[in-house]
Amino acid sequence: MGKPRSYVGQINRILALYVAGVLCFVGLMAWAEQQGLSRQWIGPIFLFLTVMVYAAIGVYGRTSVPDEYYVAGRRIPPIYNGMAAAGDWMSAASFISLSGALYLQGFSGTPGESGGLAYLLGWTGGFVLVAMLVAPHLRAMNLYTVPDFFQVRFGGRWPRIIAALSAVLCSFTYVVAQIYGVGLIASRLTGVQFEIGIMLGLGGVLLCSFLGGMRAITWTQVAQYVVMLLAFLIPVSWLAYKQLGNPAAPVVAGMQLEKIAQIEDRLLASASEREVVAGYLRRAHEYEARLRDVGGALERERHAARERIQLLRGQNADVGLIVSASRDLAAMPRDEDEARERWTREMHENYQRAHLLGGLPRHSQAFAGAPDGTAQERALFDNSRRNFLALMFCLMVGTAGLPHLLARYYTVPSVSGARSSVAWSLFFIALLYLSAPALAVLVKYEVMHNLVGSSFADLPNWMAQWAKVDASLLSIEDINRDGIVQFGEIHFGADLIVLATPEIGGLPYVISGLVAAGGLAAALSTADGLLLTISNALVRDLYFQETRRRASPEQRVILTKFTLLTVALSAAFVAALKPAEILPIVSASFSIAGSAFVPSMVLGIFWRGTTRQGVVAGMLSGLLLTVYYLLAHTQWAHDALPAVLLVQQPWLGIEPISAGVFGVPLGFAVTWLVSLITRPGRIERIAPDGL
Amino acid sequence: MLARDSLLFDEQQGAPFAPDLHDARHLWLKAVLLLVWALVSFGTSFFARDLQFQVGHWPLSYWIASQGAVLAFLLIACVYCLAMNRFEREDEASGASGQEPPSHG
Repeated sequence: MGKPRSYVGQINRILALYVAGVLCFVGLMAWAEQQGLSRQWIGPIFLFLTVMVYAAIGVYGRTSVPDEYYVAGRRIPPIYNGMAAAGDWMSAASFISLSGALYLQGFSGTPGESGGLAYLLGWTGGFVLVAMLVAPHLRAMNLYTVPDFFQVRFGGRWPRIIAALSAVLCSFTYVVAQIYGVGLIASRLTGVQFEIGIMLGLGGVLLCSFLGGMRAITWTQVAQYVVMLLAFLIPVSWLAYKQLGNPAAPVVAGMQLEKIAQIEDRLLASASEREVVAGYLRRAHEYEARLRDVGGALERERHAARERIQLLRGQNADVGLIVSASRDLAAMPRDEDEARERWTREMHENYQRAHLLGGLPRHSQAFAGAPDGTAQERALFDNSRRNFLALMFCLMVGTAGLPHLLARYYTVPSVSGARSSVAWSLFFIALLYLSAPALAVLVKYEVMHNLVGSSFADLPNWMAQWAKVDASLLSIEDINRDGIVQFGEIHFGADLIVLATPEIGGLPYVISGLVAAGGLAAALSTADGLLLTISNALVRDLYFQETRRRASPEQRVILTKFTLLTVALSAAFVAALKPAEILPIVSASFSIAGSAFVPSMVLGIFWRGTTRQGVVAGMLSGLLLTVYYLLAHTQWAHDALPAVLLVQQPWLGIEPISAGVFGVPLGFAVTWLVSLITRPGRIERIAPDGL
Repeated sequence: MLARDSLLFDEQQGAPFAPDLHDARHLWLKAVLLLVWALVSFGTSFFARDLQFQVGHWPLSYWIASQGAVLAFLLIACVYCLAMNRFEREDEASGASGQEPPSHG
């Protein structure tokens, strides 16, 4: 406790002023909307102004003094460090996708895509591990980066090099998801193309973290946490108040859960929902038939499309119809391979949706299948439960291994501060996480109660606008042609639900702007921490440690910034390819972090017999197994690898996103065994009894 | 504690920087809290289907997984902080008699 109390008091006052400022700004925008400020302006104003505030804080806190740059001078009060860690931690995945996943997956997800509350449990339960096994011990060692631990504890170069490369690998995967989220928000709110949205978002990320260092990032993250929290709690509370007359959403959501169960019963028995299922099934069969003879089918389809254009021309039909028919023809697959790929995807999608409730599980039912049903149902149940636990395990262990989070606990003044700071982080995260399932429940009720059964003629405007951003986010189609919206006809993407919540709930547009600003804050705060981790690992732990160059702090900082720019640009490039939804990307990075860092770190901290060779072997084997299992299921691996090396059947039925469930135990086992083999003589000789 | 300046020296000697020995009370505390943690997260999730009965408006397993467990984790983290601070205060009090207090944990 080097600083007097007035330092904390001063920060408290600034924070209070800042919160009041944000609320005033939201109020002002609400007033302006009432006065007729156009929607086109509200979104961009929110995004632009918040980014400017973060950038201003970043500029104010910039530094190139090494101690400040790496660990913010180790004098951030634990409560504020907890807040910054919460901002750092809650990424686009937590803010944008978590509630969406809970909406779509209910308790535990569908077979083949587990999830749901496993995300919530995994992302909070991991902090218990951080608090007890990792953070205070690392803080006690006075380190600067996470790879530093491996240098100090094990000596040599390979532990550090492998740690630095793993840090880059998992953080890069993670940052791609953040930039994807930023692009999503920017493109929806400003109406630009997704790729341009990514570039705009990239500008925001760089503005905040480019000047930076840890000190700047810490206070930016605190500011971003505040925006994030308000942007989440205001719409949830509003929605809860609107539906139930009580704004305490986590408390009252249980009532809606009951009503949802009743509506689900009704939908399961409804005849028109069955028609919709039959419609999807028909389409899936159509694609299946086409896939039996791809070449012929493609030729037939093209022919039919040309005939249709001819027919329309012959009838002197409306120009719009002709144009859309020609567009259909142009959008046809160009060759057989493309046709096969696209039709296979369409077939799977249609089969997936050809279930009652649009393929979603019942909201509060734990796991698919039935524990005392037929053999098939029992297998389904076991598999669903196993995948739920595996995913939860990976996310928890990954939490204890993510370098950008662990580095946050280097910045507090003491070991005891590191402990309490972890508890504070969990508190600030829980504030938002307790509301996430409530939001999913409230939105689901809103959709089931209001949207379902309304007429296609008066669908709200926002649906078309979102469908325009990306059809995988939202699609709605009158499958059974009765002009009425059925639940099975609506398809939402997980990344849409939170961003569209204000519109689904009929809240003023200013709330949409606020939610978007919150999503942006979530993505930016995490991206800041990740980019700093990546550039530190590359510049400090790899380049300077390897070459042992003497460089002035200015030179180092310039090099770091150059690296940061390169990394951010390549992440944006990858994100523009839309590799997957946010949640799978993020989960993959947790599996990587967990299997690379946790076994070696925990054993290194708690077992004096861990040797350098053991750690190198353990990290490499765990990491390689995880990456292999993650990639072995992808199309890319199928093309690149010979069949012998592929995973034919998922091991124990575990889905690839939970690859860490194999990598982590393997890492522990290998580290332990190799340490035992290489141990003799070594520990005795140094005998550090004075420690 | 070994100074960071001796890092280079260590590295050339190939000598790792072994951690302090852990206090047995700290390890017990961790073991007990980790057991509670595992029961709350993995235990209740494993039996989630059996805990699906209604309590108030909530099916119990859904409430535990969505709120109860998070609150339990928070509680565990707080208990750990308080207990460790207490241990450290005790060590400091007895530290006058020559015992060096471990700063880890």
